[in-house]
Amino acid sequence: MAGMGGLNAAEQRELQGRMEQKQMKDFMNMYSNLVQRCFNDCVTDFTTKSLLGKEEGCVMRCVDKFLKSSERLGERFQEQNAQMAAQGGMNTGR
Amino acid sequence: MSFLFGGGRPQPSSAEKIAAAEAEIEMVSNMFNQLVDTCTKKCIPNQYREADLNKGESVCLDRCVAKFFEVNVKVSEKMQGEAQQRQGGAMGGGGGSMFG
Repeated sequence: MAGMGGLNAAEQRELQGRMEQKQMKDFMNMYSNLVQRCFNDCVTDFTTKSLLGKEEGCVMRCVDKFLKSSERLGERFQEQNAQMAAQGGMNTGR
Repeated sequence: MSFLFGGGRPQPSSAEKIAAAEAEIEMVSNMFNQLVDTCTKKCIPNQYREADLNKGESVCLDRCVAKFFEVNVKVSEKMQGEAQQRQGGAMGGGGGSMFG
């Protein structure tokens, strides 16, 4: 990462700490998005207080699917990112 | 991405360097979150009949990422082009590169 090269050890530690905080925050955001999405899409019946079997199954599949797609998107994202870095960004040669 | 333009500028302080690195990481991270949001909305229908991604969804996700990046590049180039035009060809690099 471009920024890391210019930082000394103490600065890198500081950056590392902030990145960890950010990761926590991102994880919490993802979690609440997931709950909202799966609830919206799967839970439609309010004639009873507890989840119907089909609603519960739907939620489980929703979570699985979402996590798998996040993973796949992460992989593709890294590939594309690496490709762009290899091409030297967009400003060179203009 | 260089955040030290030209010469004659005082060395950035520790806090500035950390802030700049953090900003860059945050930009990439935001882009990824947007990508996840958009591509799951576009590619994953909300029936959830099974827990695994089927072939169609997987291919859709792959293509979505590629197109997202391409759009990113094109928008960035166009905006830099317009900025350059407005500045009459003076250093239009102020837009900065995304990943360089």
